[in-house]
Amino acid sequence: MMQEPQEVVEETVTIEEDPGTPTSHVSVVTSEDGTTRRTETKDNVTNMKVTKMVKTVTTRTVRQVPLGPDGLPLPEGSSPLGSYTDSIDRRYMKNGERFITPQATSTLTRSYNNYSDSYNDTPDSQFRHYALHDGYGDVADNYGSLSRGVNYRPYRPYMPTGGYRPENSYTLPIRKDDYGHVAQPQVPMGSSTVDLNRSQPERFQPEPYGLEDDRRSLGPDEEEPYDLEPDYSTANRRTLPGRTIREPLRNGPRVRTYEDPIEAELIDERHPYIHGMYPAPLAQPERGSLASLDRMGGRRSPSIDSIRKDPRWRDPDLPEVIAMLGHPIDPVKSNAAAYLQHLCYENDKIKKDVRQLKGIPVLVGLLDHPKAEVHRKACGALRNISYGKDHDNKVAIKSCDGIPALIRLLRKTNDMEVRELITGTLWNLSSYEPLKMVIINHGLQTMTNEVIIPHSGWEHEPNEDSKPRDAEWTTVFKNTSGCLRNVSSDGAEARRRLRECEGLVDALLHALQSAVGKKDMDNKSVENCVCIMRNLSYHVHKEVPGAEKFQDPSALQGPGSAGTQRKKKDDAGCFGGKKAKGRKNGEHDKNYDTLDLPKRTEPTKGFELLYQPEVVRLYLSLLTESQNYNTLEAAAGALQNLSAGQWTWSNYIRATVRKEKGLPILVELLRSDSDKVVRAVAIALRNLSIDRRNKDLIGSYAMRDLVSNLPSGQQRPAKNLEEDTVVAILNTIHEIITDSSENARSLITAQAIDKLVAINRTSQSARETKAASHVLQTVWSYKDLRNGLTKDGWNKTHFQPIATGTPKGSKSCKPGYDDTTLPLMEKSQDGYSTIDQRDKDSKYKSSDGSSDLQEREPLKNDTNRKHYIRSNRPTVSLVDACDVKPQPVDSWV
Amino acid sequence: MSFIPGQPVTAVVQRIEIHKLRDGDNLILGFSIGGGIDQDPSQNPFSEDKTDKGIYVTRVSKGGPAEVAGLRMGDKIMQVNGWDMTMVTHDQARKKLTKKGEDVVRLLVTRKSLENAVRQSMMH
Repeated sequence: MMQEPQEVVEETVTIEEDPGTPTSHVSVVTSEDGTTRRTETKDNVTNMKVTKMVKTVTTRTVRQVPLGPDGLPLPEGSSPLGSYTDSIDRRYMKNGERFITPQATSTLTRSYNNYSDSYNDTPDSQFRHYALHDGYGDVADNYGSLSRGVNYRPYRPYMPTGGYRPENSYTLPIRKDDYGHVAQPQVPMGSSTVDLNRSQPERFQPEPYGLEDDRRSLGPDEEEPYDLEPDYSTANRRTLPGRTIREPLRNGPRVRTYEDPIEAELIDERHPYIHGMYPAPLAQPERGSLASLDRMGGRRSPSIDSIRKDPRWRDPDLPEVIAMLGHPIDPVKSNAAAYLQHLCYENDKIKKDVRQLKGIPVLVGLLDHPKAEVHRKACGALRNISYGKDHDNKVAIKSCDGIPALIRLLRKTNDMEVRELITGTLWNLSSYEPLKMVIINHGLQTMTNEVIIPHSGWEHEPNEDSKPRDAEWTTVFKNTSGCLRNVSSDGAEARRRLRECEGLVDALLHALQSAVGKKDMDNKSVENCVCIMRNLSYHVHKEVPGAEKFQDPSALQGPGSAGTQRKKKDDAGCFGGKKAKGRKNGEHDKNYDTLDLPKRTEPTKGFELLYQPEVVRLYLSLLTESQNYNTLEAAAGALQNLSAGQWTWSNYIRATVRKEKGLPILVELLRSDSDKVVRAVAIALRNLSIDRRNKDLIGSYAMRDLVSNLPSGQQRPAKNLEEDTVVAILNTIHEIITDSSENARSLITAQAIDKLVAINRTSQSARETKAASHVLQTVWSYKDLRNGLTKDGWNKTHFQPIATGTPKGSKSCKPGYDDTTLPLMEKSQDGYSTIDQRDKDSKYKSSDGSSDLQEREPLKNDTNRKHYIRSNRPTVSLVDACDVKPQPVDSWV
Repeated sequence: MSFIPGQPVTAVVQRIEIHKLRDGDNLILGFSIGGGIDQDPSQNPFSEDKTDKGIYVTRVSKGGPAEVAGLRMGDKIMQVNGWDMTMVTHDQARKKLTKKGEDVVRLLVTRKSLENAVRQSMMH
């Protein structure tokens, strides 16, 4: 006991003057007070410490003379009550920034929360110390420099006296005239440093001081000393522990009667926070890091507040916050994680600093923490860190086994918010190519089983009588489908893994069917699913097991007979070298017209579903109904992929598209405003024209729309299409006029020659020129058309390739694209299937569920289209850029 | 010289006073430094703690002023003329050493052998 007074003395100047007895009494009282849960001496000590922390420096109102918060006598010298309330109000106002509302309640709650939290949470005295103090031993250390006497912010609004006295206040109703004093402790300025106290004396009026002493001597009024100026600090401190008690919030006896309403108010305010508050200086409520900012009045940077009001207060800096992640007390960990999440939001520099301070392994470690609060906040921080252009952060997460940890947590947790955060982080990570296989390896089956299958509504063993379930478009599903979308673009091996993942394709298709059924097709999840389907459809004719069985025999002869040259050098086409072969293929096509599908012995499942003709209807529905450009592009891309190549199933698909009236749908989309949609549709039409009947139809009906998409040279084109798109259209046109003079005739009829010649001559792009000249050459190769052309004023020179001396960006030429002399089969793109290389960085600021502070960064689309088969996986060493050791710098001096 | 965040760093130090040698227009000290808070600490061959971003002596030219004064390769420089060298960038360190107006630099350096020496002497 005796120690307490000493401590008190150290802490506050005023206390030194104080014999100290009161303090000890106080502590005794408090401890004896049954209200405190903890009655051990430790409490007292804690109280002492706490009180130290919360010195009310600002006001030392004289009892006799009601003083305002600044210590100057109030003008009115009115009733204690008046002064009390005045000072209270002023006090709050004084620390305006700290308190959102100049009401005691707000401040009280804050500090109260701290205390209550400390008391309620753990009986650990150390904990209490931690909560109540800064500067105490290990607790302080955990906070690093916080021990430098910086008060916890939450302490500022501390209204200690109120908290402390409660029990006593009832018994000791006196000291009404001590309102001023009582009020003072409520000043939020709970500075723990002694210095502040020392600074107080200037304000003091000697007279009141004396009075205080007098008061102090009053035996029963043990609480009174608290009212005393010097005691306020102590009292305040003492009251801190009392805070936890409901009653404690009452002010000292003096003001009790008057304060009751306020206290009650305060208490009520406090209650909600009891469970939510941590004694952490950053005091992050559940709502997430921004919530603390709310308390600060909504300011973005709490440090402004701290700097302004109390120079001793300081936000922890980054190394300290990271150190806090390892603190033994869980709420500290979760607070620190939440704060990190907040700091990292949209701040690449801080993200990098966190990485360099080795904060990422700690966060990943916290994912395995049993407490939901901790791993949720850690995941939120990781999610923010994983977002951004700087991929080193993603690498760092992967390097410390973050991906398996995330997947583990996904399996364990049922908390929807945590699942959203996990999948959001995975989505971010998946946007960096070297990590894609890693994600597949660790997480593919889990994501499928935990998220995709359940939320898609697909039943693995469907009951015959039950209605098929609808898909649930949850955020988790969206994130996971986004992640899978990214990883599906990672090449042949990735595709194989996804195709073979049990249940994935089935579930995705089910989800898409359900979306079409509900006419809800423009959401992101649908887009992601279609993109995955498109990617997985790429090269199905080559990559699925058993593909060889279905190869079209005539196709096998195609490339081999390329030797037979026709006068049109580009004639080879996919029908093989000879025209005869072409016709033969045509016959084959006719066979496929009857859709003589191989008999199925068992229902198709898994990847086989990718190329069943049933999917055609699905894609066509999507193309018809959706307004989402990405979805449209993906659906067209899927059809394009499926109709590529000489494969039995491709033939079926091509025929099915025609039968399902898909061609008009595609042609309609040629009028779209979106570049990528036009491009995808054009290439799909091109592949579909492999089928003879399609070619005829497309030639008849699509020509005008195709041509209208071409830039017209002189006049401004209606649509300003990208080079890739123009090239795609030209190639499509080329495809349909090959082997079909009727189509070539239609081309001429559509006024296309003008445009083609113009492109040929004036285009800045070498690819466009080349493609245009190919078309022109093909047209010219139809001798029977030449008459008509010359009549229109054209001559041979127009149709010859322009020999341009200056290369026009020829470097950008993609080999396969332009070389139309090779049969389509041999071209690397094999019908120009496209893979969606779009990597999405999902910017989601994770916010705690209850908070309405949803900081969602907009989704960013990084389009990175590649038209090659990615046969070589680039080997990227997953090394943090800053880990790549730069040469040490040596300076001679 | 292990570094615990939040705790003051303690070390056994030696004071070394180097008189710069005039070499034409330049004043040279005859050693080279490495390290700094902007450098990669893991590449430092001399540091015990591979996260130590302090300034270390990487080379000492033979017979130069530094060697004469007692500086050794591997020393960690704590102060230069009172300026702290434990939390500076490489360039800042270099500048503090090469001030034109100063003929003499007084360094506070530490090395493991010092600690050992002290420990040895205490044991006897």
